[in-house]
Amino acid sequence: MLTFKLALKNLMGAGTRTWLNVFVTALSFILIILMTGMYQGMDAHAKQVTIDSEIAGGAYWHPLYDPTDPFTLEDAHAVPPPRVVDLVDAGQAVPVLVAQAAIYPNGRIMPVVMKGILPQQDIISLPSAKLAEYDGPSIPVIIGRGMAKRANLNQGDTFTIRWLDASRTYDADEGIVVHIMSTENIKIDFGQIWIPLDRAQAMLSMAGEATYVSYAQNLEPLAETDGWIHRDVGYLTRDMTAMIEAKQPGTNVLFAILLALAAMGIFNSQMLSIFRRHKEIGTLMALGMTRSKVVGLFTTEGGLNAFLALIMAGVLGGPLFYLTATYGIPLPLDYSEMGLIIASRLTPIYPLALFVSTTILVSIIVTIVSYLPSRRIARMKPTEALRGRVS
Amino acid sequence: MDNKHIVEIRNLVKHFPMGGDHFLALKGISLDFAVGEFTGLVGPSGSGKTTLLNIVGGLDSPSEGQVTVLGHNLAGTSHKQRAELRRLHMGFIFQTYNLLPVYTVYENVEFPLLLNGVPADERKRLVTRAIELVGLSDKLGSRPAQLSGGEGQRVAIARAIVKEPTLVLADEPTANLDAENSHHVMKILVSLNKELSTSFIFATHDEKVMAYLHRILNLVDGKIVKDELVENPELKG
Repeated sequence: MLTFKLALKNLMGAGTRTWLNVFVTALSFILIILMTGMYQGMDAHAKQVTIDSEIAGGAYWHPLYDPTDPFTLEDAHAVPPPRVVDLVDAGQAVPVLVAQAAIYPNGRIMPVVMKGILPQQDIISLPSAKLAEYDGPSIPVIIGRGMAKRANLNQGDTFTIRWLDASRTYDADEGIVVHIMSTENIKIDFGQIWIPLDRAQAMLSMAGEATYVSYAQNLEPLAETDGWIHRDVGYLTRDMTAMIEAKQPGTNVLFAILLALAAMGIFNSQMLSIFRRHKEIGTLMALGMTRSKVVGLFTTEGGLNAFLALIMAGVLGGPLFYLTATYGIPLPLDYSEMGLIIASRLTPIYPLALFVSTTILVSIIVTIVSYLPSRRIARMKPTEALRGRVS
Repeated sequence: MDNKHIVEIRNLVKHFPMGGDHFLALKGISLDFAVGEFTGLVGPSGSGKTTLLNIVGGLDSPSEGQVTVLGHNLAGTSHKQRAELRRLHMGFIFQTYNLLPVYTVYENVEFPLLLNGVPADERKRLVTRAIELVGLSDKLGSRPAQLSGGEGQRVAIARAIVKEPTLVLADEPTANLDAENSHHVMKILVSLNKELSTSFIFATHDEKVMAYLHRILNLVDGKIVKDELVENPELKG
């Protein structure tokens, strides 16, 4: 208790020097939590956007469907199993028919994946209802903002669509952009065009068929699917999960750098303290403090430094964390150009575990970096400390 | 320990490594200090005064020989035991005062009592008394940086005597003080010596200090060349 009181008095007595150290350490605390929160927010957002706009509760795939192999698309279509059709009829699932196609916007050729979707659906977050609003002769098409930019297309523009139907005959017709959707999910944007399902089935001569059927979130998967393969959210987000896991070492490095900055600040101030206060150390020993108690005093000072930094981080960082978690952080770049699913306003996530783990980790590291320089005191001769010599 | 002797030194040798060789600071010193003595180690710079004082205070250890302080043979004690000896029974006064800079006068004087776990009420009484003895009752809340040299040294004296130690070791206590302050400080120490029977050992080459001593040990090149009891007029006053 005496050591704690003395350490607190020493810290308070040092005035500005203490508060500067505390401020720098608090800044590191805030940055560690903010950066980790941003990373977690980024990952969670990407996953949620993918689920909302693409996956929903999961899907039943045609047995031959492989989204990574476009050549499977020619054969990966059939009338879905009756139980799946029942879900579609009940509005709990949406069929999607996928085919390869080419579009010719402004005289250029662009290979695309053409997806037919039920316009009246609310299973995935896609403005498919816009397809039903068009009643002209052309094929109504929804494209994403990124696709529109690449193809130099605007709403109302027309272009030729060419496709291969079920009887392996090429056909073509005019498509019209009825809506340009703004989505953060590049996987439903770049290289894709969305058209009404019945139109797609007619164009491809695949009446009533689909390539996959996505079902609503929180819906129990069917036990019998007649050969169609059930894919759950875990499977459908496995690429993203793998990407997040691959990113983890980078996140850890950043975390370690910020932690090292905080640790170095305290280590530096401890080293400086010991060099500046050698005479004080000698005096404390002369007055009867044992070396271990002096080491304890300096280590406690370092620990208190971290504790004060934690409080300051709470005072300064609390409002910052609240504001960023509530309103998000506007990002200056459109990251979709880089193929990343990142919101235009990034909302960090600060779970309690982040605060607890950061506090525990920083406390342990601070105690160690406070103790390491203080060990020099244990090797110090009182007479040399009093004379101002530090070995 | 001999009841009369607070410190017993036999054949004390102290050498320091210097380059590849050794510098011999104390060369076979043998002497005793009696309880209540007011003694000075006198000699030129480098004669071994401070080294001898540090060894008696347990801040340094002898290379050879035996030093017994308050019945403890320092050669057989650990750092911790020597620290305890200092904490309980010794006071130190340094040439540069060595006050703790972030503490007030009151807190500096209180510090040795905190280390000894003295209860708060008793602490307050002892600190107030010690500060009164050195005449700084009006500076209780001042910090060392706000004090003059004389005041700083008086605080250091109050800190050294607040726990009423058996032995006070003072290393050049007047070296940074003017004549008036030097006499003031020495008069305080003399009165403490008389009132509390505290033993004082000084390391000094200040003539003004010598005028108050009743035993002077002359050191030259690590040897005691003269050990004399003196009748000082200042002490009679």
